[in-house]
Amino acid sequence: MAEISFPLPDLGEGLIEATVLEWLVAPGDQVERNQPMVEVETTKSAVELPSPQAGKVVRIHGEPGGTIAVGEPLIVFEVPDNTAGIVGTVPAEEAPRRRVRLSALPEDD
Amino acid sequence: MTAHSVPHSDGETGAGETGPSGKEPTGKELRALYQLMVAVRHLDTSAVAWQRQGLIPGYAPELGQEAAQVGSGYAVDLSRDFVFPTYREMGVARAMGVDMVGYMSTHKASWHGGLYDPVKSRLAPIQAVVAGSVLHAVGWAHGQKLSGLPAEKQGVAVSYFGDGASSQGDVHEAMNFAAVMKAPVVFFTQNNGWAISVPTERQVAGGSVAARAAGYGIPALQIDGNDVVAVVRAMRTALAHCRAGYGPMVIEAMTYRRGPHSTSDDPGRYRTLDSESADAGTDPILMLRDRLLAEGLADEAFFAAALESAKVEEEQVRAGVGALAARPGSEMFDFVFQESTPALTGQARRWREESEHV
Amino acid sequence: MSNSPIDQMDVHSSDLEAAQHNVDAAGDGAGAEGINQSPEIAAQPGHRTEIMSMQQALNLALREILGSDPKALVLGEDVGVLGGVFRITDGLQNEFGAERVFDTPLAESGILGMSVGLAMAGLHPIPEVQFDGFSYPAVNQIVCQLARMNYRSRGTLPMPVTLRVPSFGGIRAPELHGESLESLFAHVPGLKVVSPSSPHEAYHLLKYAASRPDPVVFMEPKSRYWQKGEVVFDDGISGSNGGSRSHGGASASTAVSSGATVASANLGSKVVRTGKHLTLIAWGAMVSRCLQVAELAAEDGIDIEVLDLRWLKPIDAEGLAASVGKTRRAVVVHEGPLTAGLGAEVAALATEHCFGSLKAPVERVTGFDVPYPSGDLEDEYIPNIDRILFGIQRVLEYRRG
Repeated sequence: MAEISFPLPDLGEGLIEATVLEWLVAPGDQVERNQPMVEVETTKSAVELPSPQAGKVVRIHGEPGGTIAVGEPLIVFEVPDNTAGIVGTVPAEEAPRRRVRLSALPEDD
Repeated sequence: MTAHSVPHSDGETGAGETGPSGKEPTGKELRALYQLMVAVRHLDTSAVAWQRQGLIPGYAPELGQEAAQVGSGYAVDLSRDFVFPTYREMGVARAMGVDMVGYMSTHKASWHGGLYDPVKSRLAPIQAVVAGSVLHAVGWAHGQKLSGLPAEKQGVAVSYFGDGASSQGDVHEAMNFAAVMKAPVVFFTQNNGWAISVPTERQVAGGSVAARAAGYGIPALQIDGNDVVAVVRAMRTALAHCRAGYGPMVIEAMTYRRGPHSTSDDPGRYRTLDSESADAGTDPILMLRDRLLAEGLADEAFFAAALESAKVEEEQVRAGVGALAARPGSEMFDFVFQESTPALTGQARRWREESEHV
Repeated sequence: MSNSPIDQMDVHSSDLEAAQHNVDAAGDGAGAEGINQSPEIAAQPGHRTEIMSMQQALNLALREILGSDPKALVLGEDVGVLGGVFRITDGLQNEFGAERVFDTPLAESGILGMSVGLAMAGLHPIPEVQFDGFSYPAVNQIVCQLARMNYRSRGTLPMPVTLRVPSFGGIRAPELHGESLESLFAHVPGLKVVSPSSPHEAYHLLKYAASRPDPVVFMEPKSRYWQKGEVVFDDGISGSNGGSRSHGGASASTAVSSGATVASANLGSKVVRTGKHLTLIAWGAMVSRCLQVAELAAEDGIDIEVLDLRWLKPIDAEGLAASVGKTRRAVVVHEGPLTAGLGAEVAALATEHCFGSLKAPVERVTGFDVPYPSGDLEDEYIPNIDRILFGIQRVLEYRRG
């Protein structure tokens, strides 16, 4: 598993930070792209930020009431090392299992 | 990224007769359409969650295409028409009343074509190949003319395909055949802006599938595919045109694939959230909701009840999908032919001996 | 040498070029024993190695091909911005630009037909058909155009096209995303067909295929994309060869010695496990399964050799005969259906070459004559360990008369 971190984006001209109002996702949650993720307040307005990524949330930064600077880490997702193709699954590597045993002994003449 | 254009009113771009004009959906129909769209959205977003939970290996979401799918499927006459889907037509299937467990079984990896009965449900098996079934619609439609049935019993074929599929040569062949033979086919294109990672402007020269119809002498409508009323109106117009013997018609419903191509796609690699919100147009469910409120056709209680009923339905479908066991391996052999061959029967026997009864 | 696969590989447009390659072929012939008897060149000192997945190995190979051959192009659906639906072309458009790595509209016939024209214009297209089953819409262009243009033009319009096809089953994908098309392609005159079984093979065979003047269908076993393995780099050879791909086919600038080394490493079959009682013949994803079976058979006292066929056209008849002639028993394993599958060709070749010494008819353990099934049933369809063991047992038990 790898991690992918997203910083607080620039929410408007000249704004350098935002205050976290409420997290709408928690570590461990599976979120979808574009799903409302966190509500933050800037000096201009309160906005709901959508998740830029589908995936499992590993960490969130900033308690409600806390301030995060633009460019600082906001949320971290877990990304599997083996991403499946556009369809299907990544086959699991399993220990070989057998039910059949070979009984014949080859005569090597 | 160039904005994906969503026209705000119907614009006819084709040539020739359009036949009788379509009917506006009634208030009662609008309420039914809303219930269907909410059911479809809830089932669709739930199916993505099922995949995350390991219930199904994959899914192709239709989020954002509810109006295009439900509106068009709703207008079909199940007593005589026949519908040819691709693999992203859950909303069409639901609007047609197809068994949703049977439909979703394709995503459970139970049976590629789905487990519903295509003949009874009037929905051809789920088609994994883009543009794979467009010519089938033409053949089925021409078959109606050869059937000897009285005109009022002859059906119309509805062919679903996307902006990406429109690049396939089969679509050209299908439109040309249908026009030459005056086959009763509605070519229903959902132009959802994206073919996996490739936007319409890099896919469809000229930007419009509907515009191509003129070259075949087929009338075409390019409509706001997020407006279910426009979709129903266009579909009823096209069906009436076909039933009147004027030949095929093209509808291009401009909509937007709000989700990924499939549950393992990562749209962040080819488009931004900003472009998504700029290009998606109006949410089709919100558009209908506003209309119902403005016309006094529904209230909050109705919307809440629709969602509640969608949740109940999803629970039932989920339980059904969860209960789907793998099909017996013998079915691999049973459905290859109507009349099996000795070689295949032998292979089935050996399969039983080696795989089933060790 | 008349049956040498290398001779079959080297069909050229002019006598001069043919003569050049016969020199290479002679060198290859001398090294043939090395191909079959020395499965791992990792043991050789001085070679750089790296652990990577087949995805990464293919990506690296494409990067090196594009870097060294200015005429090479990558085209297909979603290969550019997205980097391919299996990430095989990841990063290539950024590195080499959208003129050399580009997304096409969604039409496989168009991709292959356009590749034919690009090759006629002197370029070296490396088209991707996104999934095996999407080759079917392109069969017209592959069979009627790509495979015959060299012949039709009397060698004046060679087709140096490497068609990458994610192939075979095993990932619970939708319909027509799990097809085994090797017998279809191998049956078409004018096409060559190869399938790698490991990251090492993927890296080297793709680079080699892309350096050749003829069309090669490169069948990537998609169920093996993610498994990691050691890739051994023959530094100093691959680079020089990669840069020498020329339009006419013969690599005049390639030194005979290094060209021969590259060819001998990349042509023909490869023994990936030595044994004495029976040869399992496989390609693509079935090679690793056969290696597992060989381990299990060893527990029962049966010593199995595993031959990775690699080239499905031309088939390395000499390598096949060398292995089967030694073990005197053969089982060929493939995912595709039994009837008219490539296993029939392998069995015929083994029989032709080893009829006198074979102790049993060549057994085939394959997929069934049914459409590739949905995910829930694919483990019933793809040859599994037990079915391969049953096939081995039948061969071991066989008595003449």
